[in-house]
Order: sequence, then C-alpha cells, then structure tokens
Amino acid sequence: MTANLINILLGGVFHAAILFLVAAGLQVVFGVQRIFNLACGSFYALGAYVGASAVNAFTGAGGPPALFIVPLALAGLLVGVVGVVVERGLLAFVYDRDETFQLLLTFALVLMLEDIVRLTWGTAPYSTSALYLAYGQVNLLGATVPVYNLIVIGASLAIALGIGWLLTRTVFGRIIRAAADNREMAEALGVDMRRVYAKVFTLGTALGTLGGALVIPATAAMSEMGIELIVEAFAVVVIGGLGSMRGAFVGALVVGVFRAVAIAVYPELEMLMIYLVVIAVLVLRPRGLFGRVAV
Amino acid sequence: METSRREFLKGVGVAGTGAVLGFPAVVSAQARKGVPSDPVKIGVMPIRAGVAAPVGAAGQRGVEWWAERVNKAGGILGRKVELVFEEESNPKDTLERFRKLALQTKVDVIVGGISTAVGLALGPAAEELKMLWLSWDATTQKGVEETMPKPTYSFRSVDNEVEAIGGALLTAKYLKGVKTIAGINNDYSYGHDCWETYQAVLKRYTPDAKSVLELFPKLGVTDFTSHIAAIQQAKPDLLMTSFWSGDTTILMKQAAAVGLFKTMKACFTTGGGVHDSLKKEFTPEGLILGYNSMYFNYAGASALQKQFVREYKAKYGEYPPYECDHGYFTVESYKAGVEKAYKAAGEWPSKEQVAKALEGIEVESLSGKRSWREDHVQMCSFFQGITTHKNEFDFVTIDPVEVLPTTRIMKPTTSTKLLEWINSTFPLKG
Repeated sequence: MTANLINILLGGVFHAAILFLVAAGLQVVFGVQRIFNLACGSFYALGAYVGASAVNAFTGAGGPPALFIVPLALAGLLVGVVGVVVERGLLAFVYDRDETFQLLLTFALVLMLEDIVRLTWGTAPYSTSALYLAYGQVNLLGATVPVYNLIVIGASLAIALGIGWLLTRTVFGRIIRAAADNREMAEALGVDMRRVYAKVFTLGTALGTLGGALVIPATAAMSEMGIELIVEAFAVVVIGGLGSMRGAFVGALVVGVFRAVAIAVYPELEMLMIYLVVIAVLVLRPRGLFGRVAV
Repeated sequence: METSRREFLKGVGVAGTGAVLGFPAVVSAQARKGVPSDPVKIGVMPIRAGVAAPVGAAGQRGVEWWAERVNKAGGILGRKVELVFEEESNPKDTLERFRKLALQTKVDVIVGGISTAVGLALGPAAEELKMLWLSWDATTQKGVEETMPKPTYSFRSVDNEVEAIGGALLTAKYLKGVKTIAGINNDYSYGHDCWETYQAVLKRYTPDAKSVLELFPKLGVTDFTSHIAAIQQAKPDLLMTSFWSGDTTILMKQAAAVGLFKTMKACFTTGGGVHDSLKKEFTPEGLILGYNSMYFNYAGASALQKQFVREYKAKYGEYPPYECDHGYFTVESYKAGVEKAYKAAGEWPSKEQVAKALEGIEVESLSGKRSWREDHVQMCSFFQGITTHKNEFDFVTIDPVEVLPTTRIMKPTTSTKLLEWINSTFPLKG
C-alpha cells in the first residue's frame, strides 16, 4: 500500500519536475516580455536531442557512464544560447507589433524547429540507450525508485530555488521584476531593455532545453515531443497564473500529481482530470492561483 | 535522415532522370506488342512526420529497393518504373494528394497508406476515381467492422487485430498460468481493438482470465512513470501492449527501471516494429514480442530476404522492420498482376484488368509468399516469439520463432464477424 502510494506520487512528481522547467521558461518570458512563447516546447525537444547526442558522444569517446549527467546538463544549458539568436534575430522585430504577430512568430518557430530536428536527427526515436539505469534504484518503504528520477526531481527543485534567489536577491532579479512591473519606468531609470530582453529570453530558453536534456535518459526523443508537452505546460500556466514563478511550481505539481492519481485510480480520466482542474481554476480564480495579470 | 521535403523532391527528380536515362531500354522494349513506351508511374505515399515516420520510411525503402531491381531487369513488360512520392499525413490532406496523383500526375497505381483513418478516406476515393490503390498497412475497417466488403480498386492490408490474436495464442502456449492481465494500449481504434481482441482470444484458452487494469495513453506520450505505478498497484500476472512506435522503447526502459518484469510477464504484440531500439540492458528475456509480418533475423528466411536484410543494413546501418515488406509486396504484386493480365489481354492491361488479375494472386515477397485474398485483403505470415539475449546484437531477438499465417489468425472473409469467429474458431490445438 505505502509502496504503491510512493510509486504513484513519485511518478507524478517526476513528471511535474520536467513540466516545471518548461513552464518556468514560459513564465519568465511572459512576465517580462509579454510574449507567450509557443516555441518553449520546441526548445524542450531541442534540448532533449542535443543532450542525447552529447551523452552518446561522451560515452562513445569512452567517458565513464556514471558521469553522463555532466555532459547532459552542460549540453542542455549550452543549447539555451539559441535563445539569444531567436530573441535578437527574430523577436526583436515584433515587440512593437500586435500580440498576434508575436504568437504567430513563435508558432512559426515551432514548425521550423521541428523540421530542423527531423533534418538533423531523423524521424526514428532517439535515445541514450540504457544509461537511465546507470545509477541503479533505491528502495523507499518497499517501492523501487530509479535514482535518476530522484536526481531529476532534485535538480528541478534546486533550479526552482535558484530562480527564486535570482529574482529576489540579485540586482538582475530586481531589474527583471522592475521591467515586468513597468517597462517604461525601468527604461527611464536607465535600464537597457534590449539586454534585459535578450538575457531573459535566453534564461527562458535554457530552462526549456535543460528540461529536455534532463528527461531524455528516462525516455526517447521524438520530433513532436514538444507539442505533447506544451499542452500540459499551458495547463500549468493557467492553473498557476500567467507570469508567476510560484504559479509554475505549484501548477506543475498539481498537473503532475493529479495526472498520476487519475491514472492509478480511474485511468479514463488521465487527460480529462487536468482539464477539470483547469476549468475549476478558471471558474473560481480566473487569474490562476498566483496570477496578477488577468488571463 | 530521409525526411526533408527537399531531399524527397530531389528523389523524385532522380527517379525522373532515371527514366530519361533509361530511354534506350524503353525503345528496345517497344517490340512488345501493345505496351506503351513511356515509364509506368507508381504513386508512393509514405508517412514522413510524426510517430509513424520511421514506418513510412521503411515502406518507402522496400519500394525503392524493388524499383531499382526491377528497372535493372528491364522494368515491367519492358516499361521502366518511375516512383512519384506524395506524403501521407492526415486523412484530408492525404486524400488531396491522392487525387492529385490520380488526376494530375496520372499514375498507374498508388501504393501506401499506414493509418487506417487515412485508409478509410482513400478506399472510397480509389473506387470513385477508378484508381488502383494497394495499401501497405492501412485497412478500411471501422473498429473491427469492414466498411468495404467487396471493393473493385482498393486492396487493403491485413486486419488490424491479427497481431493481438497471435499474441494471445502465444500467451496461451508459452505463458501458462496467466490469470490476471493488464493492458496498456494507445487511445485510438487500433489500441482499443487489439486489447479487446487479445482478451477475447485468451479467454478461449483460459476462461477465467480477467482484466484488472486498462490504460489508454494517447499516441505520442513520452512518460509512462505514472502508468507503470498504476500497473504495479494492480499486480497483474501479465501486461499486454500493442505499442508499436517509440513508446514501446520508453515503456520498456521505464518498466526496467522499477523492475516491473521481474515479477510480471508481458506480451508486446507489435513492439518488433522498433526492434533494434529494444536494448538488452533494459529488455528482459522471456517476453512475447511480435515482429509483424517480417522478422529480419528469421533462420528460415528466403535468399531474397537475406539479401534484402544485408543490403539494407549496409545502406542504412540498421536492420529492416516489417513495413519494408508491406511496401515491397504491393509493388511486386502489381507487377505480377500486370504481367498476368497482359497474357490474357495481349496489350497493356487497364486498371480494371489489373485489379481482377490481382485477386487471389500470390507472389514471392521478402518474407516469403504473400497474396491478395479474393476480397482484396493482404495475406501473409506473422512472426512472433519469446525474447532472448542469445544473439550477436545489442538488442533482443526472438527464439523460438512462431510463424503465424493469416489463414490461421485472421478472420476468413471481410464480412465475418470477428467475435463470432473467435468464439467458434479458438481454442486451436497445438
């Protein structure tokens, strides 16, 4: 009984850990730039592919399997640099335009990135083989838990704390919050918004790519995996409240755990459950649990 | 690798050039009475994106391998073969491309179709346009019911539930004592039908077998941790799944991470479609695994299959999955149909004549003899067995291999009611 409960809860929390990273990327970008970045799912897919490639190259070159997490996380973070390119090369031109343009542009990115992934890695599922099992399992009150899942959960939690620290305790964080609150005022006070935007978007992208890289040992990369996740990330954002980091954290936990419980108790509700929560939140708290902006 | 639209246009270009270069051969072949000198145009419709893209690529590779050999040997009745590609995607767009191939490109025959949702759109269109359509994997079934009992121009794939029937037969034979079962299948017709059929057949052998959990994640899900937790909670004797794409690999890996198959048996009716991703490190021995209708490592394979596997490995660096032979068979049977009808007519046959000639025709395909049943359903053999690590690869293979002909594991006519047939046919002895 306890073992089952732990299995179900940890399954949900593992799913939530990945969802949080993608949703956090979505939130930080929306909070500051007011751009709803549909491509966050594609960054997640890109991170997964690049991460898997890096790990395969690492083990192929004779690197010890136990250290695979190092190239994995590095690759996941580094590929976040695409964010600068996308922000300076594309988004910078549409800030003054209608939101529809911005939405369309990020959707175009979704399509382009999916094709780039296909051109580069082909269409067959791409994976890191059996490295997932390299760290073995632990026994938690009778439940067998893959250590790697715990690492991912821990990493996601650390990143959440790190972002919290960044936003509340650093100069850059204050600037971000100021810019999110009142862009004109921040600019008038001498903040170079172009740099802030580039940094924020890169941060958002890197969260997504890191999420993708971290999840890949436990699964297999498929070119459309981003689309799959973005739907759930939307749910997270609506539940948590648009633009809120705390919302992303709580929203991801709600979605992950509710889904896990639904699968265990009444599997037909697997997807519906999430939407029921979304509807409930929209009715009772239209701005989401932690939202400040009207959705 | 093989999917860019540009590359694929290039491929068409090359096929066109090939036809031009082949001109001298065509001229010499003009000697054949009543045979036009221009190339035979074959429309090919592989899926290129999404979870089924690797399946589409395999079908295309089978057709290309065939075309190369046939052109080298002088074509069909001396006419060179030219492949014209159009992508299979959703039913609506695929239908438009199908019409384009038929009306604008004016191809002689169209092969392809993997999704049954697409098949349901192409079948009626083929009849309406009087266009020969030889399906790879798509049927025209709605659930387990046939929507086109006796078409003229459409030739459909094997019934969707055949693998589930084979899997249940093997479960009864090899995994005795299985009483409680759980199913995890994709949330669409194929997944639901396979699960229902599997249970129905298994119950003919083990009447008190019962389902304790049914999971239907949607196609494309990449995290099954929560599903596996639910399976652990339900504690069935056996897990059945008809997963056929990358989700097979993911499920296997995530199951291994919690030691699921240490205490539980499993039947992967269709997982052989991604066989080389089922690495030994996380795929245990002793599971039932189905390779659909071609098993690359079959000891009793024909010289033709062995040559194909060798050349495929050399060219693509991997071992071919079954869809190659669905592709190969459709074009090889078309060639045989044309030749047969030509003998009777004395001139290049019309589509109606080819369609008639195809009924009941049998050809040597990659995996052995394959045929079209009189009511336009593909007949072949399915390969399923028990996973083993005793091989030269880093992934599992099967031993023993059970060869299950569709004469045994598929209902005998399109109008047969599936459940009635299961309840009157099974249990089989032996």
